[in-house]
Formats: sequence, C-alpha cells, structure tokens
Amino acid sequence: MEMQSANLKTALILATIALAFFIGVIVRHWLW
Amino acid sequence: MDAAHAHDHAHGHDDHAHHPSGLMRWITTTNHKDIGTLYLIFACTMFFVGGVLALGIRAELFQPGLQFWRPDFFNELTTMHGLIMVFGAIMPAFVGFANWQIPMMIGAPDMAFARMNNWSFWLLPPAATLLVASFFVPGGAPAAGWTIYAPLSTQMGPGMDLGIFALHIMGASSIMGSINIITTILNMRAPGMTMMKMPLFVWTWLITAYLLIAVMPVLAGAVTMVLTDRHFGTNFFNAAGGGDPVMFQHIFWFFGHPEVYIMILPAFGIISQVIPAFARKPLFGYSSMVYATASIAILSFIVWAHHMFTVGMPAAGQLFFMYATMLIAVPTGVKVFNWIATMWKGSMTFETPMLFACGFIFVFSMGGFTGLILAITPVDIQLQDTYYVVAHFHYVLVAGSLFAIFAGTYFWIPKWTGHMYDETLGKWHFWLSMIFFNVTFFPMHFLGLAGMPRRIPDYALQFADFNMVASIGAFGFGLSQLLFVIGVYKCIKGGEKAAQKPWEGADTLEWTLPSPPPYHSFETPPTVK
Repeated sequence: MEMQSANLKTALILATIALAFFIGVIVRHWLW
Repeated sequence: MDAAHAHDHAHGHDDHAHHPSGLMRWITTTNHKDIGTLYLIFACTMFFVGGVLALGIRAELFQPGLQFWRPDFFNELTTMHGLIMVFGAIMPAFVGFANWQIPMMIGAPDMAFARMNNWSFWLLPPAATLLVASFFVPGGAPAAGWTIYAPLSTQMGPGMDLGIFALHIMGASSIMGSINIITTILNMRAPGMTMMKMPLFVWTWLITAYLLIAVMPVLAGAVTMVLTDRHFGTNFFNAAGGGDPVMFQHIFWFFGHPEVYIMILPAFGIISQVIPAFARKPLFGYSSMVYATASIAILSFIVWAHHMFTVGMPAAGQLFFMYATMLIAVPTGVKVFNWIATMWKGSMTFETPMLFACGFIFVFSMGGFTGLILAITPVDIQLQDTYYVVAHFHYVLVAGSLFAIFAGTYFWIPKWTGHMYDETLGKWHFWLSMIFFNVTFFPMHFLGLAGMPRRIPDYALQFADFNMVASIGAFGFGLSQLLFVIGVYKCIKGGEKAAQKPWEGADTLEWTLPSPPPYHSFETPPTVK
C-alpha cells in the first residue's frame, strides 16, 4: 500500500510536468 | 513435504492460472515481459514497413529521371519513412527493451503501473494504422517531411490530420510509458541497489524517460497548434494572420533535438551492458558514464537551432548554438573512450552481440564526427538539406540505434526465450548489415558534398554513379534483415537450451533468473550488496 501511494505520487508529479509543458507551449504562443 | 508441495503449487498457480491464453493473453496482459515482447514485435513490423518505403525511395533514385513515382508520392515516401522509423520502429523497440529488462535488472516483480503499461502499448497499433492509412485518403499521406514544417503541414489534405492524430496518440503512449519507467526505477529497486549501483541500461532509460516527459508534450502542443490552424481558424503559424511559421521550427526542434538523444541514449545503455560482458571486465568509468549521459541530456535542450542555421538568426545565436552543439562531443567522447577502455586488455570474444557493439562504436563515431562537422555554422549553411545530412543521421540512427537494438536482441534473447540463437546466422547478419550499411550510406557523404539535395526524386547526371551504389546497398541491407527475422524465429521456436547466464562476463540481476525467467520475476526482492 505504501509503495502504491509512493508510485502514485511520483506519477502525478510527472504527469503534471507533462501537462504543464503541453498547455504551456500552446498558451505561450496564444497569448504572445 | 507439505511445504514444498505448497510452494510448487503456488508457483504453478502463478505461472499458468492468472492469465488467459491465446489472443486474449496478449490483449489483456499486464506482464512486463509480455508487453515487452509486444513492443518488440510491433517495432520489428514497423521497421519492415518503413524499410519497404525506404526501398521505394532508393528504387526511384537508382537512376536519374522519374522511374516509378510521382514527385508528390516520393515526398510521401520520405516523410512516412521518417515518421514510421522514428515513432514506430526505434522508439517502441527501446521501450520493448525497457519493459523486458528494467524490472529484471533492478530486481522488481513488474512495472509500477502494469495496467497503464498495457494501455501504453495498445495505443500504438491504432496510431500506426492511422498513420499508414493516410496513404489511402484523398491527397495521400503527409508529405512535408518528418519535421512536418508549417506552412506545408497547415495546407495539406486530410492525410496530415491522420498523421497529427497518430502523433498525438504515440506521444500519449510515450508519456505514459515514461511515467511508468521513471516510477519503476525510482521506487521499485531491490534493497541495496542505490542509484549508483544501477546497471547503465537502467540509468540511460531513466534519463531518456525524463527527456520524453519534457519534450513529447511540446511536440503534442506543436501539432495541436497545426491542427487548430488547419481547422479552427487560429493563426499560430500563418504569417498572413499574424502568426510565425518559423516559430513552428523552433518548437519542433525543441522537441526534435532531445528526440535524437531519446533514440540514442538507450542504445548507449545497451552497448554499456554488452561490452563489459564480452570483454569480461567491469565497465570502465561507470560514474563518468552516468554523468556523461546526464550531460548529453541537459545539453540536448540548448542546441535545437543548429537545425535552423539557414533560417536566419543573429550571429550571436549562431555562435551559441554552434558551440553548444560542439560541446556535446565531450560527454559523447567520454563514453566512446570508456567503452574502448573497457575492452582494453579484456579477455574479449566476438559473439554476435559484441560484433554489433564494436560495429556500433566504429560506425556511430563516424556519424558523430559528421555531426560535429555539421555543427559548424558556415559549413552547415552549405550542407543544409543535402545528402550529407542524410548520411550523417543514418550513421547515427541505423549504425547507432538500430545496431544497438540488434546487439541487445542477440544479447538478451537467450534469456527471453530460453534458447541460444544461431551464432552463424547472427554473424552473417552482422557482416552483411555492416557492409551493406556502408555501401548504402557512405557514398551519400560524397553526394551531399557535391550538392545533391535531399527529398528530391530526380537528380543531375553527375550524381548517378553514387546513387546507383547507394541503391544497391539499400536493397542488400534490406534483404540482410531477413536473416535477423529467421534467426529470431528459430530462437523462439527452439534451439540449444540457454544457460541461466550464457555470457561469462555478464553480471546484472537478470542473469540470476532462469532462462526463460518465470512469469513473475523477483516476487521476493533480491538483496544487492
């Protein structure tokens, strides 16, 4: 259980980074 | 007696009862080995699809003049060859290796997210189908080059939409795969396996997965903007609407250059496992290998505009990107030095994996050197879009990535299947590949230096001889790959039984498991000292 929650935490951080890059690159060129 | 019986029963139960057989085994599997196999079969299939397209290109270029294809179809061939080889063959092949090897090498029972692993793989066949199906829609397949530069890509027919969707899906698959790999490596290593005790293949994949997380979303963003420019009235890359087509190139290459390292770092990892095993010596300079890999990955983010010297940029920009690019030669040189130093005074034998590894060092280094030449801005301005560039990146991607994939396959296939491969066939495969690879791509340096442009179906008469040689080499190379398929098929079907550790000098954890390994490896984590 402990391992699963550690895995989930790592995955969420990585997924957030990926999503930020995806949205960031579009928003950056939309606004400026 | 009872305890032994209970143990046997549990083992048998585990091995056979938990998963369906036949087709459903492969569709529903969450086992890292099954999924690794699926990735490798998929990559091999796409390698042959992309290879057929390459032979279509080389058939057309066998002689000057238009022989077989309309010029626009020729552009479709070059584009699809690139897209399929990059996204359908090389990348999935390395993910296949990661799936098979990483859990076994770090002493984990499986990947961290087994169901997501299944999903990552099963996204690929629909994506590949979309990509290949684009040949059959009005206007044909994407023909803007694998770089799908705007404004070409914003103007093409529906084939481009299929290509964009395929890239989106493959990108999602890669990101999920990377999350899985990073999580597995960070959280599921066996007790005692500190980061600096991890096998080099695991290290290179960890760094590659970070690269993927950082740049695949950027590609997804770029192609999403192309899509909205095409269909939803935006003007990201449309100069007439206030957009900037050059911006597409910047975004694309911010993805594209790290992508080059995504395709070569796992290859470095494989070579770093193979050479110590056959030199019967520990890898020379382990920690410098790790730091070199990380340095290459970091530098890969600040060199993208060397693909755009002819687009125009300030002299300061040209100098920055030129020197930053040249800097990559330093960590790469460290790696080549360490591989050679590992071999130095080793008790070397030259089985097929070692042959491919040595071939890799020799020919990949040549590709590295031509990369260094292309990094020089004034030289690049002359050689941009010539066959010199085609020669360069095929030396890196075929003799680099693909030879490493072959080295890794021959190295680990005794573990995967429990059978030894046919050594004679393997050696024939290596030598024919090595010879025909050079027959195909070495003359392209001369063609490029003489000014032959890439992505053009016709050429001036003075280029005829070298093109004929290259085309003969390409068909020879393509046919030689059938030996690989035969060798792998024979090995899966039977052959001499492989020992637990068939390679004397191999010392990573997967060699402590039987060949083939049990369905669930390392249910009890091993302890690493």
